[in-house]
Amino acid sequence: MHHPSWQILQPDAPAPIRERQLAINRRHFFGRSATGIGTAALASLLGNDASIAAEAGLATLAQHVAPKAKRVIYLFQNGGPTHCDLFDYKPRLHALHGTPVPEEYIGGKRFSTMTGEANGKLMLEPVEPFRQHGQSGAWVSAFMPHTARIADELCFIKSMHTDAVNHAPAISFLLSGAQIPGRPTMGAWLNYGLGSPSEELPGFVAMTSVSKGTSCGQIFYDFYWGSGFLPSRFQGVKFRGSKDPVLYLKDPAGMSRTLRRGLLDDLAALNARKFAQMGDPEIETRIAQYEMAYRMQTSVPELTDFSDEPDHVLDLYGPQVREPGTFAYNCLMARRLAERGVRFIQCMHAGWDQHNSLTTELYTQCRDTDQPSAGLVQDLKMRGLLDDTLVIWGGEFGRTPFIQGELTNRPRWGRDHHPYAFTVWLTGGGVRPGISYGVSDDLGFNVAQDPVHVHDFQATLLHLLGIDHERLTYRFQGRYFRLTDVHGALVDGILA
Amino acid sequence: MNRRHGDRSRKALRKGWFEMIRISVILLATLACLHAQDGPVLFSRDILPLLSDHCFQCHGPDANDRHGDLRLDDEDDAKRPRDPFAVVTPHDSARSLIMDRLRTSDPDTVMPPPELGRPLSPEQITLLERWIDEGAPWGRHWAFEPIARPPLPDRDGGEHPIDRFVREKLDQAGLVPNPRASRATLARRLALDLTGLPPSRAEREAFLKDPSPNAWARLVDQLLESPAYGERMAWDWLEAARYADTNGYQGDRERTMWPWRDWVVRAFNANLPYDQFTIWQLAGDLLPKPTRDQLLATGFNRNHMINGEGGRIPEENRVDYVMDMTETMGTVWLGLTLNCARCHDHKFDPLTQSEYYQFTAFFNQTPVDGSGGDPQTPPVLEVDTTFTEAAPKVMIMRDRDETRPTYILDRGLYTARGETVDPNGPATLPPLTGRADGKRDRLDLARWLVSHDHPLTARVTVNRFWQMLFGIGLVKTAEDFGVQAEYPLQRELLDWLAAEFMDSGWDVKHLLRTIVTSAVYQQRATVTPALLEADPDNRYLARGARFRLPSWMLRDQALAAAGLLVPQLGGPPVKPYQPDGLWAEATFGKKRYEPDSGKALYRRSLYTFWRRIVGPAMFFDVAKRQVCEVKPLRTNTPMQALNMLNDTTYVEAARALAEDLLRSCENDRERLDQASQSVLGRLPHEDERALWERSLTRARNAFEADPTAAEAFLSHGASARDATLKASDHATWTAICLNLLNLDEALTKE
Repeated sequence: MHHPSWQILQPDAPAPIRERQLAINRRHFFGRSATGIGTAALASLLGNDASIAAEAGLATLAQHVAPKAKRVIYLFQNGGPTHCDLFDYKPRLHALHGTPVPEEYIGGKRFSTMTGEANGKLMLEPVEPFRQHGQSGAWVSAFMPHTARIADELCFIKSMHTDAVNHAPAISFLLSGAQIPGRPTMGAWLNYGLGSPSEELPGFVAMTSVSKGTSCGQIFYDFYWGSGFLPSRFQGVKFRGSKDPVLYLKDPAGMSRTLRRGLLDDLAALNARKFAQMGDPEIETRIAQYEMAYRMQTSVPELTDFSDEPDHVLDLYGPQVREPGTFAYNCLMARRLAERGVRFIQCMHAGWDQHNSLTTELYTQCRDTDQPSAGLVQDLKMRGLLDDTLVIWGGEFGRTPFIQGELTNRPRWGRDHHPYAFTVWLTGGGVRPGISYGVSDDLGFNVAQDPVHVHDFQATLLHLLGIDHERLTYRFQGRYFRLTDVHGALVDGILA
Repeated sequence: MNRRHGDRSRKALRKGWFEMIRISVILLATLACLHAQDGPVLFSRDILPLLSDHCFQCHGPDANDRHGDLRLDDEDDAKRPRDPFAVVTPHDSARSLIMDRLRTSDPDTVMPPPELGRPLSPEQITLLERWIDEGAPWGRHWAFEPIARPPLPDRDGGEHPIDRFVREKLDQAGLVPNPRASRATLARRLALDLTGLPPSRAEREAFLKDPSPNAWARLVDQLLESPAYGERMAWDWLEAARYADTNGYQGDRERTMWPWRDWVVRAFNANLPYDQFTIWQLAGDLLPKPTRDQLLATGFNRNHMINGEGGRIPEENRVDYVMDMTETMGTVWLGLTLNCARCHDHKFDPLTQSEYYQFTAFFNQTPVDGSGGDPQTPPVLEVDTTFTEAAPKVMIMRDRDETRPTYILDRGLYTARGETVDPNGPATLPPLTGRADGKRDRLDLARWLVSHDHPLTARVTVNRFWQMLFGIGLVKTAEDFGVQAEYPLQRELLDWLAAEFMDSGWDVKHLLRTIVTSAVYQQRATVTPALLEADPDNRYLARGARFRLPSWMLRDQALAAAGLLVPQLGGPPVKPYQPDGLWAEATFGKKRYEPDSGKALYRRSLYTFWRRIVGPAMFFDVAKRQVCEVKPLRTNTPMQALNMLNDTTYVEAARALAEDLLRSCENDRERLDQASQSVLGRLPHEDERALWERSLTRARNAFEADPTAAEAFLSHGASARDATLKASDHATWTAICLNLLNLDEALTKE
């Protein structure tokens, strides 16, 4: 295979984790070594590319701790799935159904403006019955029959808590460690820290889906897969929800692959010259993206061709897997992307915002996501991929154990946003299967034991990929930034 | 040969390195201390953002979510006596409760509460302490202060006002501005900025040869007078106005609003003063004896989506439309995120929920009832036009005779009606005076927005124009001038421009002329690593702007460079090339995209048919045209590369450009010169020639060896090709031109 001589500019250059604040940190590096990548690019153009990596410090690579997972599939459930009705069984909710929230649970808590004060709100029992499943005896409600069947593979964290009460800030917080939009997201951090093992596909792919008939118009903001202040080539690449996830893939008739390859090399050389002259880092990104575009022309058609998937595999994901743009379709895409080495795959599914639709839309929501999520885990396991793939299922917060709406109007039962305790599940690469970690109180209101803050969760995720969250930093405007800001503690209890 | 270039480049780079050390030393010494603020603490710049970020969530304007009986957005409440002392005691930080709560190590009482995750840094706490000890002078958010024309910084020489303001900040930071860019670069920069097209050959050559000191001013005027100017300006306005050719939502029926779009182009070209531009669009129907254009202009408000889904309750739709009109007005003129106050008092800005509904009351008076999905819901205007046989009906504004009551809606729900409110502005802004009878309507609203004592409209507007030219506003959040918006580093410049804009009679061309004649605008865009580190977003303006062109402009540029562009102004929307099947897929087969033929394929991007639920595929990073958007997105992805390399538009443009070269030039050198001139506006550098020759050899070898491939490569696009040209030559140069259109420099304004 032809490798252009300036390949060092690629994100898939050897994984550039740094011991101290060295190496790939472009701006830092620029500050130390004359002309940085400009020199590298130019030198390589001139056929003088020996030891550029060494010069740039890119060759000194090491992960901080032994990695358990090589990649992440984040099944992000936008909107705040109701832990009370899905995974966190609280029998006392039946007993207190219709009675006011006991005062000792509230104390100074902040809810979304829809609820305002929690005082006087009435408790609401789970909509569907819970049952224990598998060897591990995990409690899962009847909303999630397929997830229940793989409960022994899963590690439930029932003591998650977050700082934000509204969707966009809370989603940003989970994905980027900051509520304000515009910070680098986890996928960008990981590709920056570890590089991308895939030469043929971007290291960070985002896909989105919405359940049919979802009334809540949640928006997928581009900053959910943004690179923030990290160089823009680390941003997630968003695939369209369609059988053609990437448009304009085919070379125009008459343009052979060989000719295109050569012309792109020349184009890159001209752009590298421009970079040396102007110093604008966007040029460097552009060079990398044109190269990635070339590779995706081969890799994407093959990626999206499901004809090699036997029926028994497709059936794992449920009937919607054949319908581009659905969560099921995206889950199968996620597995195919994982097989091809993509570092971070972010499948976002909106519609978990049951303010008044626990007895209606929640069923659709679960039907559209339950089987595909479980199917993905089983499929990964069958292929041995689960050993080094970390799969995460969860949203930005939970939902209140008390009702939003009228108790007498069952068709409009709802729950409001709830940041004080919620559930996510993880499985695969380095996570202890078949356990439930952390405990919420007897109403699922607050965390009672082993709290896991968003930053703890992020620190643990990085750890599983071999990164010390305190040492993955990027210098921006005079300050070293981290995914976990100045917080985060490793959650040992979930490690295998 | 390589070696020689290498030496030269290294020398250039070494020179750059020395420059960089010099600058970085100065920068390190100065940028840091600028932030430390040696002068007195300034409330609106230093204190208010800090209180807003860290305290207002619980101690701010939202009455329903206030804790501890404390408002830190209210001077009286913060300073009122408490036990044992006030939260803020002027001149006495030791007796200010706030300092105790900020500095305590007790996790139960420390502020902000740790679980909020917004701790203050020690520097911030010290700053608060200094402010209190300096007397705790209160103030208002800077953007709500009246606009006063700041004096020009006292500097030698007759420099341009903009340069004086910017130089002052640069001096303070120890930065040196870049020198002026080359004339060729400047001609391209200016033409793209003002017309969205590269300069014509004649314009460019006249400018390059013009020895007069007025050469630049002449080019500026020439471009401002070009009809293409109005088309360029209209794009951004259409994004703000959420203009589209369909309703949106399921069904997505087609509508006829293009005569309004054409009015926008005409208004910019005629340089309709921005205050009139505002009044006509928001309330032209309420003017005495409105002209047809004044009525047509009000279509602005009706560009919102229309929900024709069965089972929707008409009143629910109607309320949605009213809110959309209100919030669009809020973003475009006030630069405020009004929608935050739909459901509750604004968390950060002094804007209550009832004030939000007072604003909606202005837009709540049309006869529209929300039923059905008819894209031409009355009131409509029949427009005389030469483009179509039947006179198109365009949705416009009109108020009912009888006033419709406006309610505060709990949580924004159309059914949850609370108290009624009358149309009015918010208490925090200057009074919105109505007519003698005390009533207020949209015309009063529009006039209030463009009154000279309004603190927001002029600032917000000049900031958007600045953003258009520099890629980032003087206030980064073009959509939000509220308390959460940054204190602008170039505040004096912003205010000067706002005052100048109003004093010029809201003259948009004058404003743009003022900006582009500054040295700041004309600087070279080169950046050193040190400057990039210190000022990544170019807020100090020590360099010229450099950013990728909007995707719609890339298409226009390619058509223009290729000579394919059909410069017809206005008319019904057109359907250029787009990949097959996109409409069908998004509409379950109900709609199919049929590309146009002939001239319609080569119209400016502005005229492209816009289906809301599946926008034109060839444009990336554009507004979705669903709600008002005023801040461009700028990403850099492999998808864009594929679009530029493989879309029929660009392959055809490359073919047309190649044909031109082959007909008019004698040899490859001349062809390369002319191609480079057409797209980049400059000749190739010698070291670039070697690379282009490499490409030429590659392409020529490939197409000479494979005549079928050459024919195929020449088959893209509907325009005829000159069959007398040798196919392999033509295909070779098409490949070269396609690469040229994909150069970073071609994709970028620099």
